[in-house]
Amino acid sequence: MSKLNETDIQGFVLRGYNLPVARYLFLRFEGAARARKLIGRLLSEITTGQRWDGVKPQSTVNIAFTHRGLERLELPDATLLSFPVEFQQGMRHRAEILGDCGVNSPDHWEEIWREDRVDAWIGINGVTGESLEARCAATLSLINETGGATAISSQDAAAVVINGKPTTSEHFGYTDGFGNPDYLGIERSTQPGQGKLMPNRTWAPLATGELLLGYADEAGELPVAPIPHLLASNGTFMVYRKLHQNVATFRAYLDKQSLLYGGGKEKLAAKFIGRWRDGTPLELSPDHPDQAIVQNSNRNTDFTYGADAEGNRCPIGAHIRRVHPRDAFGFNGQLINRRRITRRGLPYGRFVPEGEPVDDTEERGIIFMVLNASLSRQFEFVQQQWVQYGNDARLGNDKDMLLGSHGGTGRFVVQGEARPSNPPFVCSNLPDFVELRGGDYFFLPSITALGMIAMGLVDPR
Amino acid sequence: MPNKNGSVYGLTILSPIIEDKSATPSHDLQIRNYLAHLSTREESPFAQAPGTHLARLVVMDDVIYVGAPACEDHLKSKYLIFESNCDGDLDSYLSGLAENIPDHLDAVWKHCVGYPGAVNRPAFINYMKACQLDTTFFFAAVNDKTVTETLRALQTQNAVADFIATHQGVDAVTLQREFIEFVAHLKAMPPPKPGSMGPHRDIKTGGRNE
Amino acid sequence: MSNINGKVYAMNAITPMKPWKTWIVRVILFLLGLLKSLRQTVIDLSFIEFARWVVLPRGGFPFLGNGQKREDLRYDYLLFFSNFNGTWNQYIDAFSAVLSKGLNLIWNWSEKFPGSVPVTIFKEYIARVQFDTDYYYTAYPHATANDVKSAHIVQSSLDSLSLVAGQCSPEQFADAYLQFVLQVQTHLGETGDAPIAG
Repeated sequence: MSKLNETDIQGFVLRGYNLPVARYLFLRFEGAARARKLIGRLLSEITTGQRWDGVKPQSTVNIAFTHRGLERLELPDATLLSFPVEFQQGMRHRAEILGDCGVNSPDHWEEIWREDRVDAWIGINGVTGESLEARCAATLSLINETGGATAISSQDAAAVVINGKPTTSEHFGYTDGFGNPDYLGIERSTQPGQGKLMPNRTWAPLATGELLLGYADEAGELPVAPIPHLLASNGTFMVYRKLHQNVATFRAYLDKQSLLYGGGKEKLAAKFIGRWRDGTPLELSPDHPDQAIVQNSNRNTDFTYGADAEGNRCPIGAHIRRVHPRDAFGFNGQLINRRRITRRGLPYGRFVPEGEPVDDTEERGIIFMVLNASLSRQFEFVQQQWVQYGNDARLGNDKDMLLGSHGGTGRFVVQGEARPSNPPFVCSNLPDFVELRGGDYFFLPSITALGMIAMGLVDPR
Repeated sequence: MPNKNGSVYGLTILSPIIEDKSATPSHDLQIRNYLAHLSTREESPFAQAPGTHLARLVVMDDVIYVGAPACEDHLKSKYLIFESNCDGDLDSYLSGLAENIPDHLDAVWKHCVGYPGAVNRPAFINYMKACQLDTTFFFAAVNDKTVTETLRALQTQNAVADFIATHQGVDAVTLQREFIEFVAHLKAMPPPKPGSMGPHRDIKTGGRNE
Repeated sequence: MSNINGKVYAMNAITPMKPWKTWIVRVILFLLGLLKSLRQTVIDLSFIEFARWVVLPRGGFPFLGNGQKREDLRYDYLLFFSNFNGTWNQYIDAFSAVLSKGLNLIWNWSEKFPGSVPVTIFKEYIARVQFDTDYYYTAYPHATANDVKSAHIVQSSLDSLSLVAGQCSPEQFADAYLQFVLQVQTHLGETGDAPIAG
């Protein structure tokens, strides 16, 4: 196993910052020389993966580029053409493959994503609103000083605040943020359930190359990466998706279906996802939420589906079972270990507690970001085969209940038992609970690579 | 030889294609061209004759050279491969093809050496068998159902899912009555057409493959 | 020309073998046909509708006279035909991940076979020995092997319930119906279009 150089890897890759407020700036470069100068000036601002030793910084800064952005930085053609095709094309051109159709199609996206306008993403996280504003102002003034870019748009995001405290809840009321994989060499306490399943039923970290370029992956190969190696190593690819949530539609649908469902409203909500809204996995506690499990990191992700082949605890099509099937496809999870993704992101928009009036047209949702070594093998595969399709789970064309693009059609089957409190149930005529508002694919380079880009020192070989 | 798996037959045919320098375009290209314009859905010849689960027609130009130090090896003829996964007995399957789609068979196989035409049934069957290769290992995921049974089952499955979804919370008397009606209705429905995309198409999610 | 029809992909591959090795492949494929335990992985993978291997000895190409020239080959050939669900990459990734030993056993005797791990080199080999399908038909393009298996389970459960449906009280029927729903509840996925291949 390689020892990772945490001072060379952007911090955003190695850990979820757990900082409650964020702003994402979208840049358009203004002239390659000035843009490179800007990157050079930003270099010392970038938050690396170095450990914080208990003292969290007040704010963090990270940067990533679209393929278009790298073109505008005038990287050599031989390098630009060595990037994987899906990254060169960008997310908009992959819409049909991703099932981003109907209300999710690029025609419905926000303006900046409808054309190739975004060259770079700068992610700024803060402990408080003030620290975020201060860091944003400093970053913007760097941008203005160098004249290297224009911030054409920005997106604010923040943890949902309930009773004055930032939480890990999202707008539908589910507790989020359990499911990131562990990787070899990334220093943090490993958690059972978070890596790959071993033949002896224990969990081990995934190969580093599933997250970072330049390291062996689960197939024992180096991931497909651009040339030269130094540009790629310690970097990764990022997916940015702005997902609008139709909270009114969700609440109305859940209320209506609950009238027919014998297990009650909260159980039905739990069946959609595979966790009770407080985060308790259905697999571990099928009949009631249990905070003792949620609070225990040795338990809250430590489960498998092998003993629940019929899905009467956690439905076969429940969200967490789809996107991380664990042992559900047999072969000790070997078919899924190269399909794992790391998620980052925060909700945006005002949180509306249950019972208060809410409107779908209000700006509200989640900024969904994914990190992975291969966009096509990992993110795109999960999105196409496991979210928008169901054959691997033996569910035919059924899609993910909450994330699928349904357009009023489709079904979600809640498998059950003969006992009335856990009956079988079918949800049909599914509305679009979530709508894609835009996004793109980004390359998130190492600190070394940023320096090479800034100095114009990228040689293809 | 395991040409059969359960009640499914694995037919592999290699027919040598006529080598004729005076033909323009060459016979293999004429086959390719004919096949390129043939429907792969309900209008497919294989949908009009009974018993084909899956089948393919492939022009094999040559064997493949994998590079040094392997030797270069070349075929003297090009071959038309016909690979079919079909119901039951080979003679009746081939007869069914000859009876229902003779024109298509002739249009393709007239480019092959020694093809007698589909109208002479025994000669046609003998010809096909002369071109047949024995399968060394044959796998079938489902090996005990006919094409018609499978198409029926797919239709049933779709209808049952709808029935269940629309009968939640219905009282027992109504449920029983409507179930009996449902089953009668299902039995009376014509079987789905082979090669079709099924009962109803999804919202636009593509289906185009590239 | 298309290797794809609806939810199935047609793969054709041909690989040369030195003639003295051919009998080994025959024995292995014979055992594979004999022993279900050896086939279990393929069954569990569940995305193959039909597949076959054909050993074609160099003297075994059909010869019909009528001006056809006799083949004069140095190698015997192994033909492989598969009808699988999902993308090409997904199929080969899965084989390389969980069936590498079995594939090596069958293909090791072919010239220049690099082994099924690492997967990238294996994919390059398959891509080289694969040849394209001119015409591909399936009677049920909207269904995968899993869909078909599910459909037959639903059909037989429905047939059983309909036998008794008219002969019991509404309450007894409601109980039987619940049991029926439990039998079919993991087999109700919709059929339809396949996702678009990258």
